[in-house]
Amino acid sequence: MLLEVRKLTKRFGGLTAVADVSFGITKGEIVGIFGPNGSGKTTLLNLVAGLMPPTEGDVLWKSAPIQGRPAHEVAASGLVKTFQNPQLFAELTVLEHVHIAAHLALKRRLGWRRLATLLDPDAGNASGALNERAEQIVRLCRLDASRDRLAAEISYGEEKMLGVAMALMCQPELLLLDEPASGLGAAEIENLEAVLRDLKQHGTTLCIIDHKVGFLGRLADRAIGLHHGAKIAEGAPDEVLRNPDVVMAYLGHSRDRI
Amino acid sequence: MNRQAAFFAVTAVVLLLLPLVIKSDVVMTILVFAWLQGMLAVSFNLIFGFTGQLSMFHAAAFGIAGYATHLSMQYLGVGYWTGTVLGALLVSVLSVIVGTICFRFRLKEFYFAVVTLAFSEVARITVVNWNSVTNGTLGINLQEKPWLFGFKVDDTVSWYYLSLVALAVTLLVCSRVVHSWMGRCFSAIRLNDELGDTLGINVFRYKLAAFVVGNFIAAVAGSLYAYYLGSLEPGFLSIDASLGIVAMVLLGGRSSVAAPVVGAVLLVSLPHLIHFSAEVRSIVYGSILILTILLMPQGIYGSIASLLRKRHAS
Amino acid sequence: MGQLILGQLLNGAILGTLYGIIALGVTLTFGITGIVNFALGVFMMLGAYAAWYFTDVAGLPYPLAVPCAVAATALAGLVADQALFRFTRNNLVNGLLVSIGMIAVMESVALLIFTSTPKEMHRVLPGVIEVAGFVLPKMKVAVFGLLLTVILATYAALTRTWIGRAAYAYAQNPEAAALMGVRTERLQTGVVVYSTALAGLGGALYASLYSLEPTLGSLFVLKAVEAAILAGIGSVLGSLFGGVILGITEGVGSIYLPLAFRDVYGLVFLVAILLFKPAGLFAGRK
Repeated sequence: MLLEVRKLTKRFGGLTAVADVSFGITKGEIVGIFGPNGSGKTTLLNLVAGLMPPTEGDVLWKSAPIQGRPAHEVAASGLVKTFQNPQLFAELTVLEHVHIAAHLALKRRLGWRRLATLLDPDAGNASGALNERAEQIVRLCRLDASRDRLAAEISYGEEKMLGVAMALMCQPELLLLDEPASGLGAAEIENLEAVLRDLKQHGTTLCIIDHKVGFLGRLADRAIGLHHGAKIAEGAPDEVLRNPDVVMAYLGHSRDRI
Repeated sequence: MNRQAAFFAVTAVVLLLLPLVIKSDVVMTILVFAWLQGMLAVSFNLIFGFTGQLSMFHAAAFGIAGYATHLSMQYLGVGYWTGTVLGALLVSVLSVIVGTICFRFRLKEFYFAVVTLAFSEVARITVVNWNSVTNGTLGINLQEKPWLFGFKVDDTVSWYYLSLVALAVTLLVCSRVVHSWMGRCFSAIRLNDELGDTLGINVFRYKLAAFVVGNFIAAVAGSLYAYYLGSLEPGFLSIDASLGIVAMVLLGGRSSVAAPVVGAVLLVSLPHLIHFSAEVRSIVYGSILILTILLMPQGIYGSIASLLRKRHAS
Repeated sequence: MGQLILGQLLNGAILGTLYGIIALGVTLTFGITGIVNFALGVFMMLGAYAAWYFTDVAGLPYPLAVPCAVAATALAGLVADQALFRFTRNNLVNGLLVSIGMIAVMESVALLIFTSTPKEMHRVLPGVIEVAGFVLPKMKVAVFGLLLTVILATYAALTRTWIGRAAYAYAQNPEAAALMGVRTERLQTGVVVYSTALAGLGGALYASLYSLEPTLGSLFVLKAVEAAILAGIGSVLGSLFGGVILGITEGVGSIYLPLAFRDVYGLVFLVAILLFKPAGLFAGRK
């Protein structure tokens, strides 16, 4: 079990954003977390990524608690999260973004010896291998055409893909995606699905939260339904989607009544 | 050889041959000051322009090093160069302390500026009041000069070459760092440090690295400057001095390694071109600061560079 | 010893109100325009020299000279806002640099005009008054009372009048306030002018107690910023308490530690607060 979430609860004053949620993620699967807006999905993901401390419960990443670990350590240990609203470096180009994200890979490859590259930029040929990887990922994420454009100038869909690309450069074992499809058009969603399926092929475990039922339904191996911060269903995607509680959460009333 | 390298090669040759052409001692003196202030400005820019941290501690690093060099020569009996190294080490240790405090507590931009200003003021007040050691506001007269390869660096031309080499080394080091993976970390920190964190960049570590390296270089510059000038005074650590450094960088430009040197040359030579009293000099510094912030945020170098880029594009 | 401490306490409290009035200006400017305006020190200096000028050179009676000085300073503040500060709204770093630049320029101009020879205004309210067994100069007590009144009046205005509450609302949520019809540009300019007026008042009163020199402003404004941050920038009453705490600490501290340390207390507070309790001691209240 790569990730284990146990009785996770988060309260903000009087508001309970996440209520007693427990689940696990095993290596190689794609887990989709569904829920309408306001069901606590983003808060749950932030808790899982260690970005905020839970009120109760714990999160175990590779059997070690994730609470209190600084963000860069979490990323270095293989757990990487993307942002729902794309976070970018305004003045830099797409390619430069990906190169910055290569830092973790460089650190893994060379460790302390990377200091030597300050004196001699070609030392260890690390930059060669990493440049290649960067190119691969840019192509994979269909950002090739925009590689030299400034982040401020690319489309929203490309911004989201750039977020994914940067996360990929960090060589994640588990990639947490926060509403990757929101704001994207049909063609872009297709693109995203292809990329994510590719990732799974290459051994990356994915955990995706979204409220777009179709997108997640096609992609996920296993689904978890969330409503008002609590887990209301778990199982195969089509099962979960047919679950009357889940339908009630989305539509406000059960299917039979339509 | 590409165009930029050619440009630098030509400039280097011109600068090296300059003393043969210029016989005026005044001009040469101005250039010595300009190269040393240039070291200050370039190293400050590493922290401010590239890593995005507005440090008001830089003048303190500059001033403390001068005093430390003198004191180690006086009380420990070491030579000039050892004294300089000791001074730079002292400043580095202080930088680690100040930097760790500031960055551990994740002080953002403005608050970082205020806290480094506070530390700088504490340093200045210490220097002003520790009369037995620093001679307070009266300052100290420095008679010694450094010896290099058996020659006493005493005349203007020797100092010219010494300071030029020091500046060149500074530019080389900063350039290497900025164009490496570490420079990318600095950019990430400057533009969006939270994103950098989630991508695995240890933001604390690299902020501290930029801060310490920048202050180290400022310390070396400070030691050279004090011994060229022949005196030390608490004014080196004043807020006015920090203001001068910021003005140089804003005037010259923040976005390239060498751009601050332009600002340094201009601000150092200005008072000599037009004879200013100290008050008028402050008025000029202050006005430059205001005008560049409001009208020319890219500085002279940056504005010219972007103009050239636009002409190329069209 | 107890007498000495109490005496320093009282003196410190009085000085603290001077810190407080500038701190109030700092806090208001921060809340509404998003920058910490170090240049308020310049306006304090302007107010002081203006008061001196109106009293000793133009021959006006002091109670008239003070409002004139305040008006002159407010006018200067308006000009400065339109020419400079308007372009640095909500940009703390640029605001810092521009205000420090302005200090350099204005102090040097003042040095050129007035020279660094300290100016002494003639004693306005000579004589002393006995307060709780202590002998205090009458003028100091008057200044204390006046500043206290102004600060409290500002607080009352902010919480009771429409303008005040509009300002408060704006500080909390600029967009909502704008949507509700608050004229944000005017509000920002108004607050800047009011803050410079406060600084001018502080300066004008300072002139009656101490000798003047062009750098008095920058020494004071740093203390004022320290006081504002100590209390929690954004808290109106806090700026009064912050100023008084600082004033008292300096006064009582000078009994035990050499005078050289006087300026260090504020710096220590500043660093300590920013590190450990950045919201300030009185966080949460406006």
